Amino acid sequence: MIVKMSKVEIAGPRELLEKVLCLLQETGLLQIEPDTKGFIEKKDAVYIDSFLPDKGAMTERFFLEDLRARTDELFSYLPKIPIKKSYIDPRPIIDTINETLQQHLLACREMIQKKDAYRKELAELDRYNIFLDSVESLLEGLRKTPDMDFIGLTLRDTEAAALLNEFLNKQAAGRFELRTSTASDGSIAGLIAIEKEISDKIKSTLSDKDIPEFKFPFAFEGLTFFQKIELLRKRISEVISEIEAVDMQLESFAMKWGPIYSRVREWTDERLSVLNTVGSVFETRMCFLIYGWMVYENVEKLRGRLTHDYEGKVVLDEMEILEEDLDRMPVILKNPAYFKPFELFTKMLPLPRYTSYDPTPFISIFFPVFFGMILGDAGYGLILLVLSFFMLKKFKKRKFLPDASKILLICSIYTLFFGIIYGEFIGDLGHRLFSLKPLLIERRTSIIPMLYFAVSVGMAHILLGTFLGFATAFRRKTKKEALSRFLNLLIIIFILLLVASLFGLFPSLLTRPLILAILFLTPCLLFTGGLLAPLELLRSMGNIISYARIMAIGLVSVLLAFVANCLAGMTGDIITGIVVAALLHLLNIIIGVFSPAIHSLRLHYVEFFSKFIEPGGKKFEPFRKEGKI
Amino acid sequence: MEKTLMAFAAALAIGLTALATAWVQSKVGSAGAGALAEKPELSATIIILVAIPETMVILGFVVAAMILFGGG
Repeated sequence: MIVKMSKVEIAGPRELLEKVLCLLQETGLLQIEPDTKGFIEKKDAVYIDSFLPDKGAMTERFFLEDLRARTDELFSYLPKIPIKKSYIDPRPIIDTINETLQQHLLACREMIQKKDAYRKELAELDRYNIFLDSVESLLEGLRKTPDMDFIGLTLRDTEAAALLNEFLNKQAAGRFELRTSTASDGSIAGLIAIEKEISDKIKSTLSDKDIPEFKFPFAFEGLTFFQKIELLRKRISEVISEIEAVDMQLESFAMKWGPIYSRVREWTDERLSVLNTVGSVFETRMCFLIYGWMVYENVEKLRGRLTHDYEGKVVLDEMEILEEDLDRMPVILKNPAYFKPFELFTKMLPLPRYTSYDPTPFISIFFPVFFGMILGDAGYGLILLVLSFFMLKKFKKRKFLPDASKILLICSIYTLFFGIIYGEFIGDLGHRLFSLKPLLIERRTSIIPMLYFAVSVGMAHILLGTFLGFATAFRRKTKKEALSRFLNLLIIIFILLLVASLFGLFPSLLTRPLILAILFLTPCLLFTGGLLAPLELLRSMGNIISYARIMAIGLVSVLLAFVANCLAGMTGDIITGIVVAALLHLLNIIIGVFSPAIHSLRLHYVEFFSKFIEPGGKKFEPFRKEGKI
Repeated sequence: MEKTLMAFAAALAIGLTALATAWVQSKVGSAGAGALAEKPELSATIIILVAIPETMVILGFVVAAMILFGGG
């Protein structure tokens, strides 16, 4: 339901404004309106101005904005770990906090710079690491005497390795060994073990042939190949340890100071919110004026609180709601426990206007009925009932699943109910095993009666929707639109009566007067609703026929269940039969949950709600502390 | 012969409308999936848009049922 709202004005002495705003923020009951349209009469407008904050308030605001930015910067340096909640009041110690924050910010900035430098170094060392990983395996079994030298290479492909081998054979036959291995990045690492006396010559020839030696960092110059490898490994491990040490320092800092700074940030936001709201306040020479919207039920509660806290110096007045206010009045939906889960469906729609209707109660009543009418099987209903209980127990703390489970629970009860009416228990199994008979109608054979039944349900639903559309227009005091919708409703009723009389369901004596009435009302409809009004009428007729899907999809469901039982019987083997039937029924249940749900929703969204729901409502957003609901 | 013609007419009534619905839903569905990737809050509108052409096949079904089982 759309909650009844009140338009209010709060007035008091200027010096109490900040305290009043803090109280309003704490209670979170009022949505402050920054626009005076509809709140201030023209004759009073000359005495009322926007509230101008004093120098102190401006200084505080700049200080808090700067504090907020620096707190954000500090948190951007800290690791995202769960921290405790602090309840300190930062106001008395804000100067100390400000100074400490400055020092902590510098310390953290330094730590982050240090970490970044280590990370950069590690990224560079990692390049060598890939080469080292592949070369280390090549060193096994090689002669490591002082007369030997080693040359590391990165080769393009295996063909290049073969060419290099050929070249070395020519230059130093029998005095070298070339080993290659594929590195983790796909390149080929090569290692030439060669006698020291010819190594310089080979190195320079390789350089001339554009086969460069693997270059170690400049600081490693003058060391042997093995010393370079050892030093590189040592440095990598040192850098990793340093990064870990910085991370640990930051983490321990976050554990120690995070709760305090988090509370400071929260408090800063609250204060800034109060200071920013001053921009939506108005003033006269002596008083401040706050205009806004609140839930009607809470008016007395807030009035009492203001009178009590400020000894009658601050007053709350309820103002008259004008016609022009209706379009901008905020909307809040509140539903009883039974309807609440169905808000899952209505949340997908835009918020209705204040003068319109909350679609939740309608969808809560009709959705399970349509679902039950389509699936209508006592056996399936029982299975879904068990499933919904299981889901309710298992997914208690999930976001949407508890609501979905409650909807399924209600729908399963209706499925069970319609199953008994149709005499269906897992298709015709109930009839075969327990001679279950339909209470009212057998869907599988009564196709045309079921079609009439479905269309009749649609007729009632659409007529209700059209009537609600008329009521909405009437409440909005748009007379022409209300008249057009009323005529639309009348013509639909007359057309339906005419069809009934033509089919012999109604006295044929009325046929002629009905035709005359329709012919008379249609031009009136054109005058009130415009040229498109007859099209709307045709759309309504189409909408009614669209409810035939209740019967059509239901028929598919019952036939699938029947086929499952027949196929099971045809197998001739009890176990195979049970397996076949179970699989087909499982498939039917899965289809039977999704298909009726989607089509029932569609019948509401497209056919029913389009008749009376007016989207475009503004969400009620009271002035309150962050995170308070 | 008359029975065959009736069956053929019913098949045409449901077959053609089913094809038309499928074709429109494929167009609306693919465009809707694209829109949903950009704006997930449009889910209700997309469901409505995808479901609108279904009325055709439902009307086809009603006509077919009337032909086969004689509504009058």
